Amino acid sequence: MESLSRQKVDVIFGIPGGSVLPLYDALYSTNIRHLLVRHEQAAAFAADGYARVTGKPGVCLGTSGPGATNLVTGLTSAMMDSIPIVALTGQAPAPLIGKDAFQEADTIGISMACTKQSFSIRSAADIPSIIQKAFKSAVSGRPGPVLVDLPKSVLMENAEVGDYPPAGIQTPECVREWTEADIDRAAEMILESRRAVLYAGGGVVTANASDELRELAGLLQIPVASTLMGLGCFPSRHPLSLGMLGMHGSYATNMAICQCDLLIAIGARFDDRVTGRLNGFAPSAKKIHLDVDPSEVNKNVRVDLALVGDARETLRALLAALKRRGAAALAERRPWLERIESWRSEHPMTYDKYANNVKPQFVIETLARYASEDAIVAVDVGQHQMWGAQFWKFTRPRMWLSSSGLGSMGYGFPAAMGAQMAFPDRQAIAIVGDGGFQMTLNDLATIVQYRVPVKIAIINNRALGMVRQWQEIFFEKRYCDTDLDFAPDFVKLAEAYGIRGARVEHRSDVADAVQDFLSDREPRLIDFWVDPAENVYPIVPPGASLAEMVVEPPQVAVEEEALDDLWAV
Amino acid sequence: MQWLLTLETNEDMISICRVMNIFRRKGLMIATLAMTDGPSGFSMMAVVESPEAEADHIFNYLRRTEGIQNVTYYRHESFPNASFVFIDSEADNSRVAQVLKAFPESKLIFASHGKYLLEVPEEKRQEPLSARFRNPAFRPFACVKTTRVPVRRDLAAASA
Repeated sequence: MESLSRQKVDVIFGIPGGSVLPLYDALYSTNIRHLLVRHEQAAAFAADGYARVTGKPGVCLGTSGPGATNLVTGLTSAMMDSIPIVALTGQAPAPLIGKDAFQEADTIGISMACTKQSFSIRSAADIPSIIQKAFKSAVSGRPGPVLVDLPKSVLMENAEVGDYPPAGIQTPECVREWTEADIDRAAEMILESRRAVLYAGGGVVTANASDELRELAGLLQIPVASTLMGLGCFPSRHPLSLGMLGMHGSYATNMAICQCDLLIAIGARFDDRVTGRLNGFAPSAKKIHLDVDPSEVNKNVRVDLALVGDARETLRALLAALKRRGAAALAERRPWLERIESWRSEHPMTYDKYANNVKPQFVIETLARYASEDAIVAVDVGQHQMWGAQFWKFTRPRMWLSSSGLGSMGYGFPAAMGAQMAFPDRQAIAIVGDGGFQMTLNDLATIVQYRVPVKIAIINNRALGMVRQWQEIFFEKRYCDTDLDFAPDFVKLAEAYGIRGARVEHRSDVADAVQDFLSDREPRLIDFWVDPAENVYPIVPPGASLAEMVVEPPQVAVEEEALDDLWAV
Repeated sequence: MQWLLTLETNEDMISICRVMNIFRRKGLMIATLAMTDGPSGFSMMAVVESPEAEADHIFNYLRRTEGIQNVTYYRHESFPNASFVFIDSEADNSRVAQVLKAFPESKLIFASHGKYLLEVPEEKRQEPLSARFRNPAFRPFACVKTTRVPVRRDLAAASA
């Protein structure tokens, strides 16, 4: 605990058990807060949420065996999204390891693929240095989860600790593999381009490089597309903001990617959900890739120039090089921006705003309208996640929490809880689906017990909506096990936990209900019964290129449905 | 495509496990593997098959993985373009002796359990490599990338 205090840990998310009893005994007399979650997966997701909003490693704790294995999904999600977490796991006493002892699991082996580094401590005297290494590793280079396995015998051991490593938050080790010549070349490529696009990912958020990104975009009038991980790194209302690109990106954004002559990827990894079919991704563009992780370079898409290093430092160097060349917004770029604007007008991101039923997009827009400017938004995975990405107006980085790479349902609510612990005075809103929420709703008890004022908005379409959408579009409407008609009454459930709940079934009630929902500093739940037939558009079909995106529901299908309705009448 | 990788890890066995896992995930098929332990960890040499014509990102993945140090990767090449010879001597050490006799300036890069990697510097060769090593037990490679800082002989000499 002393080692954790020295790393400025202020909150741990966990569940005690036999192997970690000595640790909890020490916790009893420290100032570190502990949130007793109801499942270790929530501990990992909460630590993830804490880390995303603060930039500091989140800490989760599980006992040996099932406690450790339950952390795995959260660690894998953090690994995919490069989120710094330090996971502490109990372990059977050292002499019993490998003997199939009670609650023994090969935690180091199991976590190998979902951690950046893992440590098995064999002597109590090693704890201070290993804890320091774990925190350093979690934030250095490309951040990620680190696991420290603690046998009970080590936790029980009395050891003389020599000098503790210096206290304080670990600063990342600097990575820089580019040269000034590389920066000059990048500057030249940017100045030569006429149809450039900045493609910003989670690395911009991690590196706290939003200001530099905005400066670069503004200096040369280059539009900015964001990945799901990058949302918030560039303000949604900025005229140069293109919003999200990829499978559910807007028409204008994806067209801009298809027709740009230079793509500048910053802290992004050319994920398949972003690129669509690779040979159709920015086919005529030269590509520059800024990333802290050299292994991302040329992994999915070959680039013309790689600048491996911290995004902020690299962008600063690039800005300096551009300014030395007297870079300014070129008149030659104007037609490009006008073309993007015409795509925007042609196919704006919209939905049926005159529908009588509750459209999920309308709920998201209304939540965004009444939420605080600095509200933290945590989402689950599925349709509501995409609508959140499409319709929330992002104002700053570190306000959007999403299990993006792994796509883990059940993430949103505990992540919001973790974020709320970091910033008790900000609004933390969990926007979840009815499917995902049922995976981690047991932590309603936690937010009541600790009075964590998370707001839970359920976008309830009585289905595993995104899977149902795929069955509808790509599997000839053969809906198989995507109905969630049998679900609890979420309002009564909330009330059973001592939380005020409300259900909204009519469009006209949405605005008032949202205002009431956000009006206090108590945990609240609101269950929006949205149109179950609503699907996420645009969509790039799997295996298709971005240019082949389907912008709206096929008219044929609509007509068929209309005929069905006619016959029914 | 065939590649040869040499790397060192720290003394934590989990680092070696991570290497194996990376090979598996990245679709590398191990043709030959040799490992040895040293004072500060493990050294490993692997000849691997990859479906891809590029292995840069795998090299980069390995070099940035915690616990792994000094990664070098080599591409299978024809003899005229190769400076390194991999020898799988099985029980017959005469093959190594044969190289060393023909090219006494050769440098031993790795040796473990009958698997050898020798550097035969081009400038020191009196005759082409291909003339000597037609046996498939000798496999030629060219170094593509390494994390080792190349020794600048001119600077070393100046400082001496």
